[in-house]
Amino acid sequence: MLRPRRASHPYLMLAPTLLMLGAFFLLPLAVAAWQSLYRWDLLTAPSFVGAHNYRYLLASGQVWQALGTTLAYAVVVVAGSLALGLLLAIAVNRPGRFVSFVRASVFSAYVVSWVSVALLFMWMLDADGGLVGRFFKAHDIAPTGLLSSPRTALYALAAVTVWKITGYAMVVFLAGLQDIPKELYEAAALDGAGRLSRFVHVTWPMLRPTTAFVATTSLIVSFQAFDIVRVMTQGGPTRSTTVFVYAIYEHVFLNLRVGRASAMVVLFFAVLLVLTGLQLWAWRSGERRAT
Amino acid sequence: MTPRQDRRGWLRTAAGLALGSTLGCDARPPGSQGRHLVSFWFAYGGKNREALQKLVHRFNTSQTEVFVHATFQGDYFEALAKLRTAIAAGAAPTISHVVGEVIPYLHDAGVLEPLEGYPGAADLGLVDALAQSGSYLGGKEKPLVGLPFNRSTPIMYLNGNLLRDARVPIPTTWEDLERASVELTRREPGGRVQVYGFECPISWWFWVALVGQAGGTVMRPDGYPELGGEAGVRALEHWQRMVHQTRSMRPPPGRDYNAWEVTNQDFLAQRAAIIVTSTAFLRYLEANAKFPVVGAPLAGDKQRAVPTGGTFFVMLRAAPEVDKQAAWQFLRWMMAPEQTIEWATSTGYMPVAQQAVRQLEQSGYYDKSPNDRVAMSQLAYAQPWPWAPNLFRVQRECVDPRLEEAVLGPRDARSVMQEARTAAVSDS
Amino acid sequence: MRESPATRLAVHALLGLVAVVWLGPYVWMVLGSFRSLQELIAAPTAPLPSSFRLDAYRQVFETIPVGRYLLNTTVMALLIAALQITLVLPAGYALGKLRFTGRRFAFLTVLACLLVPAQVTFVPVFLMLAKVGLVNSMGALVLPFAASALGTFMVRQALQSVPDEIIEAARMDGASEITIVYRLLGPMLAPTLVSLFLLSFVFHWNDYFWPLVMTTDERVRTMPLAVALLREQGTGVRWHIVMAGNVILSAPALAVFAVAQKHLLRAVARRT
Repeated sequence: MLRPRRASHPYLMLAPTLLMLGAFFLLPLAVAAWQSLYRWDLLTAPSFVGAHNYRYLLASGQVWQALGTTLAYAVVVVAGSLALGLLLAIAVNRPGRFVSFVRASVFSAYVVSWVSVALLFMWMLDADGGLVGRFFKAHDIAPTGLLSSPRTALYALAAVTVWKITGYAMVVFLAGLQDIPKELYEAAALDGAGRLSRFVHVTWPMLRPTTAFVATTSLIVSFQAFDIVRVMTQGGPTRSTTVFVYAIYEHVFLNLRVGRASAMVVLFFAVLLVLTGLQLWAWRSGERRAT
Repeated sequence: MTPRQDRRGWLRTAAGLALGSTLGCDARPPGSQGRHLVSFWFAYGGKNREALQKLVHRFNTSQTEVFVHATFQGDYFEALAKLRTAIAAGAAPTISHVVGEVIPYLHDAGVLEPLEGYPGAADLGLVDALAQSGSYLGGKEKPLVGLPFNRSTPIMYLNGNLLRDARVPIPTTWEDLERASVELTRREPGGRVQVYGFECPISWWFWVALVGQAGGTVMRPDGYPELGGEAGVRALEHWQRMVHQTRSMRPPPGRDYNAWEVTNQDFLAQRAAIIVTSTAFLRYLEANAKFPVVGAPLAGDKQRAVPTGGTFFVMLRAAPEVDKQAAWQFLRWMMAPEQTIEWATSTGYMPVAQQAVRQLEQSGYYDKSPNDRVAMSQLAYAQPWPWAPNLFRVQRECVDPRLEEAVLGPRDARSVMQEARTAAVSDS
Repeated sequence: MRESPATRLAVHALLGLVAVVWLGPYVWMVLGSFRSLQELIAAPTAPLPSSFRLDAYRQVFETIPVGRYLLNTTVMALLIAALQITLVLPAGYALGKLRFTGRRFAFLTVLACLLVPAQVTFVPVFLMLAKVGLVNSMGALVLPFAASALGTFMVRQALQSVPDEIIEAARMDGASEITIVYRLLGPMLAPTLVSLFLLSFVFHWNDYFWPLVMTTDERVRTMPLAVALLREQGTGVRWHIVMAGNVILSAPALAVFAVAQKHLLRAVARRT
């Protein structure tokens, strides 16, 4: 830590960043909180309604439905990307050109846009024209298409999401695996520990911070999901894929209820805060237990 | 990094910023130099989009004063959303086109330009049932804010071969339709349906048609959302019977226009023998079907009735005066018989100018293409919309989502309609 | 640790399957883009197209101004990435190396911004930009992302391993703080900056949501938006055209990946 040459320096250096962040992230949040107390359709004058929007959202079940949908989606995405990511990381943790190639292939899904992936899988899952869709239809699994049935649509979206982000999880886990000192494995092997035992007693504990990191990132990605829903299902069928952010978008753009959308924004932010808090708490207590 | 490299880095960033900011600026479309630029946002794709772009191009090349720049904005609802937010941001186009149900709301919000004052507005010679005056209850008394563009009614399309093979007559009542759909449904030995007798998107417009046929009205002129009353329930039960009891109707999956698309594809692939959808797809279906396409008016219940659909041209009040004058030239041109004939014959939408209809009759067009006449014939019992600002909101928020729920659930039709009515009335 | 040939074979078989699952869809996409519509409808699952046609690509180029959209998207992503690395250096330096009152507050403020996704802010930002007439301009796409909370933290983190003495020495040599930040620390943090640049570029190139809500016509429309719009309704989705558009959309990202693979992987694994 150094003392600044001149007292104004730190403030000047931070000013552009703080101003921009404030203007585009924090101020809008405050404005949204204020707008949530009004009813406004963008075209006519706003009218003050106090806590009405919140009461309506909570009473009509819209918030709980959006939350529930997003949580169901998130659980599959987090569990899927963690499990697959770790499994793949272990599998590619070896030298070789073929292995490098596979590593790159899996990661490439992370680099392309959500629109790209969404369109591709829409086609592939199509019950009439898609490779995967026709297979499912022929075996009577999803006669109208995975994306057209309220029972399967959300999980289809989650599966596509896992496909896209597993590469990221894999790479992070790989780095974590490579950070584990080989001596620990050797010591365990000398103690007579088998493969599985080595994994449980050496690998898994050492990967805890990495696991927490991947879990948090996957969770945040799931909660912010929008593109895939917008392109693939537009929130349907029968609202079964209306995740939180999509619900907000709908309220603004399709229903023109800016006040209500702002109330959802505030609630959404609160949920994110709680989730992050929980993650931090879980990680900290995990850390404390490990040390 | 050496000082020189560093300075180059800054220069590059600065140049980039400069370039970037100019890229956002008024890059006029090619061919528009020296002319009044009219921005026109439109909202459909595929064949109809091509037909529209052809017309716009013809207008642009037929004169040198005005250049219409047409931008595609997605489907009706996307485009409407963009339009409203653009109005709020002061970035609206000069003209666009919107569904009939939303015009009272937009007029009420004061964003539409009244058109009576423009040269020639009084004698456009439009078909009354399709123009604003006939499409709304009391539409004549309101300021003229919309000119009919792509106007349609729902019609029945039947697969000529399947009908003939099963010896089923064209249904004219709801009972006929329910019977026909059962007789036309083909199942595999295992029980899975190979061909559905009937398919129709579970959506507002088609439900309104049923409500009218059952003798109800969707909304009173004062805006009270009756939602058909008993007729509204009957309409839902008609669908529910076919979907769940006789299992001869497929409710197409997908949100909004995705479901309409599935309906068309099923018909073309001969997975559905009878479908109900817009007359707008007539050309497309006839061109792509490997079987004779038979068009017929919708079946009646207590009476025959259809709503009108499609969109109206609107001009935005916030646009600059000169742009509005220039845009009017385009609108007037589009209302001319020649253009309406070209538009109607290349799509399936109805010609909106009386002169155009006369010409088509005289030239024997309808004799050669009887399917085109179906929509026109239904105009005799077309039901006008109420001029109610809350009509669109009731449609999108209260009714549409609940129709899906009721039919796909299935849920008891009466309680669903009661819920919808409560939601529409409270309008919280 | 020795492993048996059986295990090795099993792992390689698994990896082969993995490669199919992750590359298969792309191969299918490319193949599909070369088909004709009739073929797609008649035999959707045929492994190879009976003939390679460029119709779909021609249609894409006729329907949308591909060049313009690619340019818009690239310029936007470049501007954002460039602005970000310009701003994160001084901010990260201040937070990471300087002692001053309000440091904790500034730190928490930047942290808070990490939690606020774009989907939460877009309505007020849209209205704000509308007031100054910036909607549907490159500014609306670039300015909101000029400052990067994540990038600031990355720089702050990276600076922890730079000894204070180096900075003190530079100060004694008479270098100004700006010089220290950009000409001394900048090059030292090159790996971090390259990572940030790449990550930002790719992320914003692929962005769909922000351009969706901030643009109203094609002037600054971006490629992801344009390709999503290819899915036109009513008259049947023409998948071969959509896939052709998709190939054009994915190609640049995959090209960047192929060239800068190592950097991207390192950026993600935080091995900087």
